[in-house]
Amino acid sequence: MKRTFFRMALLAYGGTLAAATSQFAVAPGGALTRVTDNRHSFALPAPGLSPKQLRDFNFGNRLFNTNWLVAPASVEAFDGLGPTFNRVSCSGCHLRDGRGRPPIEGEKEMLSMLMRLSLPGVGAHGGPLPHPAYGDQLNDRAVPGIAPEGRVEIDYEEIHGRYDDGIAYSLRKPTYRIVDSAYGDLDETLVSPRTAPQVVGMGLLEAVAESDIVAREDAHDCDGDGISGRANRVWNPVSGRVELGRFGWKANAASLLQQSAAAANGDIGLTSRWFPRQNCPDLQPDCGSVPHGGQPELSEDYLRKLEFYLRTLAVPARRKDARAAHGQRVFEQLRCGACHVPHLVAATDTTLSLLVSQDFAPFTDLLLHDLGPGLADGRPDFAALGSEWRTAPLWGLGLVPTVNGHSFYLHDGRARSLEEAVLWHGGEAEMQQRAFRALEAAEREALLAFLATL
Amino acid sequence: MSTPLKLWTRASACVLLGLASGAGTASSQDAGEGGEGGGEAGGSVPSQYRLLLDEAVDPHYDGAAVAAAYADDVQVAYEQSHAAAVSLQRAVEALLANPSDATLAAARVAWIAARQPYLVTESFRFYDGPIDAPHTGPEGRINAWPLNEAVIDYVEGDANAGLVNAFDVPLTRASVIARDQVSDEADVTTGWHAIEFLLWGQDRAADGAGARPVSDFIAGNAATDRRREYLRLLTVLLADDLHHLARQWDPAQPDSYAAQFLALEPHEAVGRALTGAALLASHELASERLAVALDSGAQEDEQSCFSDSTWQDFAWGLAGIKRVYYGRSNTDASPASAIRSLQPKLALEMERRFAEAERRVAKLNDPFDRILVSPSDSEMRANAEATVIALQQLAAGLRDVGRALGVLVIVPGA
Repeated sequence: MKRTFFRMALLAYGGTLAAATSQFAVAPGGALTRVTDNRHSFALPAPGLSPKQLRDFNFGNRLFNTNWLVAPASVEAFDGLGPTFNRVSCSGCHLRDGRGRPPIEGEKEMLSMLMRLSLPGVGAHGGPLPHPAYGDQLNDRAVPGIAPEGRVEIDYEEIHGRYDDGIAYSLRKPTYRIVDSAYGDLDETLVSPRTAPQVVGMGLLEAVAESDIVAREDAHDCDGDGISGRANRVWNPVSGRVELGRFGWKANAASLLQQSAAAANGDIGLTSRWFPRQNCPDLQPDCGSVPHGGQPELSEDYLRKLEFYLRTLAVPARRKDARAAHGQRVFEQLRCGACHVPHLVAATDTTLSLLVSQDFAPFTDLLLHDLGPGLADGRPDFAALGSEWRTAPLWGLGLVPTVNGHSFYLHDGRARSLEEAVLWHGGEAEMQQRAFRALEAAEREALLAFLATL
Repeated sequence: MSTPLKLWTRASACVLLGLASGAGTASSQDAGEGGEGGGEAGGSVPSQYRLLLDEAVDPHYDGAAVAAAYADDVQVAYEQSHAAAVSLQRAVEALLANPSDATLAAARVAWIAARQPYLVTESFRFYDGPIDAPHTGPEGRINAWPLNEAVIDYVEGDANAGLVNAFDVPLTRASVIARDQVSDEADVTTGWHAIEFLLWGQDRAADGAGARPVSDFIAGNAATDRRREYLRLLTVLLADDLHHLARQWDPAQPDSYAAQFLALEPHEAVGRALTGAALLASHELASERLAVALDSGAQEDEQSCFSDSTWQDFAWGLAGIKRVYYGRSNTDASPASAIRSLQPKLALEMERRFAEAERRVAKLNDPFDRILVSPSDSEMRANAEATVIALQQLAAGLRDVGRALGVLVIVPGA
């Protein structure tokens, strides 16, 4: 498929443009698209929900915004926080269903990102090997009487560079230190910082046929275009099987239900049918002794409503910009779409009729790619190597400043703008990044303007 | 109607915004806007409301008169709301000048009274008008809920919580606004419900409202001094925001929204009016404030929980919807008057739906939180469920009214 695209580009620029332009004309969320440009642009129900569905959506929204309480609390349905946790609600990190960021000056805490941890080696079911004292992520908060596991400090180093036209830019390279570690040292521990991604369009990504995703795999770069791409294969405790990974910065979750239940357990400290054990590593003996909020703390009914909510959030329509058409041509010239595939299709047999056969435009292939040493975290996650990341969907990028009041991008928010995010690309995307640096300023700006319309 | 429904192709009134300036900076959220679930339906509002109709089926009525009467009433409603907020401000000043059980009770009465004309104005949301205009609308600053009490003041289990006790934070208008809903939507620092919490305190009682002691307002210690100043600031800010809204709806003000509104193609203006009323009924009242609370059973989902005055949130919200449809007085041009001549049967149906919604809302149990803890087969719960349906039916009726008037009113789920 990629090969065809490449040859067409060589044969007839005009023909490619026509074909590609129709791809770019697809509404970002298909029938789930809404025209919107405000602070709530990631928080809208998809059009066409029935009254019953809308009621479930609204309750899912309520759950997403619920501040979980320390057990025992008077509100029994919503207690069971911790014992250790990161934030007390889903929306704490995914504010207004949007994107998290690293701490800014004056902030000591990670408000909407977290640090994954593991030891070298392979854990159960082929996943990361959890640290015996800290588990697989650092919980920087805890209920009264329990020590938070620690917290993260970040130092940034400015790296100066120049475009080919001589214009200077600067990137900031983070280094991470875990301080106030409460349960012993963290030597040899692999870490991976992750910001919370926005959560629109997840139902559509879940509905893409596995065969469509796998068809784009080219693990050994047989087509010689410098871009490989392979699917992650991850353990899904909900199905009890190894499945194609679709969600998360390293595609380490197979389904929305799994992702939601895992985040509820790992980030908030809630047990559920799929994660019946408190998030208490073996070497934290006090952790298991605090009161819990029921068994499970997050009911299956509530979890399903959260899943429904995530499946039916509307995807914002693109905004207009006079430079977008030019920028789209640059996007095509640079072949960014080799990984950021503009257009996917939901399967015909997906369980929610709203999603069936939708054409939509997430700008991802859902595959893992090596992005080079600059971005590498060195922490494997199932099949994903330390330098590999899932192609991040680009939809909604331009609305992050509107919804979340910042423009931090990439897995750890090190990029302070879309421009810096492009410049960080290495590995399989090294060629594209060099080509970007070689562009004239007007072309660079057009590309960034195009990205901001997504 | 045989014509397929299409959007009018006129240029959008929407403002398109590029990337916020200052790449890489995390600004505190621009003041106001959104807050509660409102904007979540607001985003579904199409930028154009006019249906593309054939001349032959285009309904004939004086749309400009309907729009003008609406705009005039919106201005009046915000002026009434502003005046009531000033009365609340005076009552709070009296409390602070002479804290006593009597002045505290009077301030609480003033809060409940001032809520009523504000609730009427909630029908003017959901079309990106002055109240919830992208980036500038103060809705979130005025009426956000639910809120984390502990962001504002002490709570059970944490005597030093909140801005009141954050002695290193200067209590100024700017610092309070800068801390509103920054890292969590429930971290509300301003508006009706923040004032409500400061006046009543947490509602820990099975029956009755919160019972903050008047000693919380007696000057002379660091925390009470800050609480006094915080409360005073919030009431001034509320009145100022409402004053701003009244001015935005004053066509005599050169840059006012009212001037733009009156210059709109009349169908567009009528579409906005009906959309606001319909979404208040279906989204805000039926769903956010009623169905969600019924499904969760949590008192946190009760809008005015500190004062236990949630019943009036429904009653006066519905009064606002009615005022949009019928106009302020029977002699004004209104959607109702247009429908009576265009589609008498629909006019009768709307009478029926309003009557049903009013009957159901009147029967909603007061205090509201008793409904949430009642058994699943209780009569009060059954009536609350019927109220959800009645409000959704009302919104669907307003959608049909729109169609009959040649305007598109989108009601999610209807």
